[in-house]
Amino acid sequence: MATAFTPYSYIQCPCSDITPTDRRSGGSPTTPEPDDDDRAFDPRAPRSSFSLYPLEYLMYCEDCHQIRCPRCVAEEIVTYYCPNCLFECPVCVGPLAVTSVETKPDPNLLAAPDNSAAPLAGPYALTCSYCLWTSTEVGIQFDKPNGIHAQLAKLRNGGTTRLTAKERKERRKDPSYKAQPPPPDSQDLDHEAQFANLKAFYQGQLADPNTADAGLALLGDLGFSSPTSLSRIMSIYTGGSLLHDKKAKTRLGAMREALDPDEGLLVASLDESAAISKLRSEGLDGTASTAQLVGQPPNMVEPPLHGNERFLDTLRPVPHLLRTKRSKRCPVCRHIISKPESKVQTTRFRIRLVAGSYIPSISIRQLALSSGTGSGTSASGPAVPGAPLEPLKPAHFLLTFKNPIFETIKVTLGAPATTPGRFASRVTVLCPEFEVDANTDVWDEALKNNAERDRELRRRRGESVSANSGGISSANQLEVGKIWERGRNWVSIVVEVVPASLALAPGNPPLREDEDVLEIPMFVRVEWEAEMAGDEVGAAPSRSNSEAREKRELAYWCVLGVGRIRQR
Amino acid sequence: MSSKRHSILPSASQSGPKPPVHLSSSLTIADSAVLTGTHQITVHGESVIHPRARLDSHAGRVTIGRRCVVHERATIGSSSSGLASARSSAVLSSARSSMASPGVLSPTAAVAGSGGEAASQSTTAQAVTLGDYVTVEVGAVIEAGGTVVGDGTVVGVGARVGAGAVLGKRDLRHENHCTLTPQSAVPPGDVVPDFTVVYANGMRRTDRRGMVELKNKGLARQIEVLRRLIPSNPAKFA
Ligand SMILES: [Zn+2]
Ligand SMILES: [Zn+2]
Ligand SMILES: [Zn+2]
Ligand SMILES: [Zn+2]
Repeated sequence: MATAFTPYSYIQCPCSDITPTDRRSGGSPTTPEPDDDDRAFDPRAPRSSFSLYPLEYLMYCEDCHQIRCPRCVAEEIVTYYCPNCLFECPVCVGPLAVTSVETKPDPNLLAAPDNSAAPLAGPYALTCSYCLWTSTEVGIQFDKPNGIHAQLAKLRNGGTTRLTAKERKERRKDPSYKAQPPPPDSQDLDHEAQFANLKAFYQGQLADPNTADAGLALLGDLGFSSPTSLSRIMSIYTGGSLLHDKKAKTRLGAMREALDPDEGLLVASLDESAAISKLRSEGLDGTASTAQLVGQPPNMVEPPLHGNERFLDTLRPVPHLLRTKRSKRCPVCRHIISKPESKVQTTRFRIRLVAGSYIPSISIRQLALSSGTGSGTSASGPAVPGAPLEPLKPAHFLLTFKNPIFETIKVTLGAPATTPGRFASRVTVLCPEFEVDANTDVWDEALKNNAERDRELRRRRGESVSANSGGISSANQLEVGKIWERGRNWVSIVVEVVPASLALAPGNPPLREDEDVLEIPMFVRVEWEAEMAGDEVGAAPSRSNSEAREKRELAYWCVLGVGRIRQR
Repeated sequence: MSSKRHSILPSASQSGPKPPVHLSSSLTIADSAVLTGTHQITVHGESVIHPRARLDSHAGRVTIGRRCVVHERATIGSSSSGLASARSSAVLSSARSSMASPGVLSPTAAVAGSGGEAASQSTTAQAVTLGDYVTVEVGAVIEAGGTVVGDGTVVGVGARVGAGAVLGKRDLRHENHCTLTPQSAVPPGDVVPDFTVVYANGMRRTDRRGMVELKNKGLARQIEVLRRLIPSNPAKFA
């Protein structure tokens, strides 16, 4: 009652059929098959929620002439890509754009209109167009507008550069650098550098076990600091056979631990007074939220311990996750039914066979009828769209079938007389069999010769009295076997429902969620004639020739949600 | 053709009284903009008033600075009932003002019409003032009631500035530059510091881009284009 109900129609993919597709071809089922005609589809069955899809979600295989759903198609990755090497805003997760940081002030701003249409020059920053966050807030600027990821890996917050692991290795080899001792500031050790230093240190220890530190000899007996256990541990973490030294097993000499930053020692900075005073001055608004911290990528660039990423001004740009483009294959015949353009930038598809261009769409609208119209059929009160349905009072719904293909289709509908479930509403399809004209070009229609058009108009009038759609009209009549209205490639028919009462006998379990929704299971059979196999269904028909044409047929269950029944 | 295309929108009728105006000669104002009310409406140089924008001086004086852009269906000076949601406010406020003008608002209108000096105090108390380089995007609403929108501020699509709110410092220097993201709102009477970004359901942060010059240049360039695109008809409102 809170929100107005929007009618819907969902289609069941044939893949959810218990008996597979070989049933029709006369395969030998081992279990006795239940009589298909008696087995009406129950949209409320727990399995059904996995097989019902809106038309827009469904694909269609032109070779099998069958509906395919996201559950039964086979997917293949066409391309991997990170969407244009984009970054997300660390504050609001909006996309970041590379913009030029122009600092040159223009003194005559208001007086003289800007005349320099010069191309934007560096330095560059990543900027969020939504919350206006910019990487300059953490002191990060870029020299080039491209290759941001690589540039970011070398930049610390505040803009100082760091050495990458490769550069550090090269520098270590360089004798001129080796001569001078590295700065002992442990804050220069970022994640990557610390690991590299530690690894180099322990490798050196393994190679030369004689430098065993006497002070750790006691522990050596327990095997904690022996090269053997160390190489075992290291091989767990590095996964390589690099440290796997068979000879080391026999050695039991103890090793010393790292003693300075160059060996990978990082002293934890427990002094948090700076953070506390910052919290005092900036308040809680200056701190990063849990979601923002979780969104941060592991920062290999900063020192790993203490004091990082608690404040908003330490957050770094977040790289987009890796994405894929996928093609879809028919599970039966392996033909491709959807294939996107492999180029990252384009959103076009090479192949995309969507069900909406092969099977008719069904739209549902409640019909408002003044009492007294129709031939003896009782009529419903004024229909407010989405209003609850009165129990035990007949209501009428207009189903409009729109034909997307270039052939006239014959539609046959079947619905159980009462809806399945605890509350059986009565359902009557007033016109269960009808034809829907082809989806001809609007201009074809207009340019048809007069005689042909007249004939067609007469045919349309013969079946239905033309009237304004939907309004209270005496021209449209609720007559069994008559369609309500017909257009170029669509037909409207009327379904009468008598909603069940939701009253429950004492002792029955209470109403389940959405049990008050009146859902009509409906079997739809679509028949049409198409050119012989090989041609596409969607191809334009050649009217003049009398080529061999074959009958095609498609049948499926769908469910129509028409409204909620009023609860007392 | 174009009238057919716009037929879903209610017609922006020039209902209500015609306000006294003071329009700069260098301004661009579309023929279908709506200026209504009883107090003075002032628009300074090189500003652009888009078609169907609405300047309403029923409550008080409306002043728009230099190089401002007021987009389609934006309302400046709507009465501060606060009933309408920001999304439908353009439609609602036009309906409301046409309904309310004979009843509630007519006393103020009569005073303002008869004696200018006597009414000047209520005029400023209920005024709307926009600084320079202000952008009011599509469907945004700025309520009347001593409301001040500081220099360089962007009021995003469908955003709402409540009555008496002050965006940026009260002295209109080139230092304000607040940003209201689309569909955001500033409650009535709120004072928002310079360079504040209002986003995501009322969250606030500070714009530290330091791109004031760049932004103003961009706006100046945009105005250059708009002046060529929008046929101006200031005579209609004079
Ligand atoms: Zn399927
Ligand atoms: Zn990439
Ligand atoms: Zn952001
Ligand atoms: Zn297939």
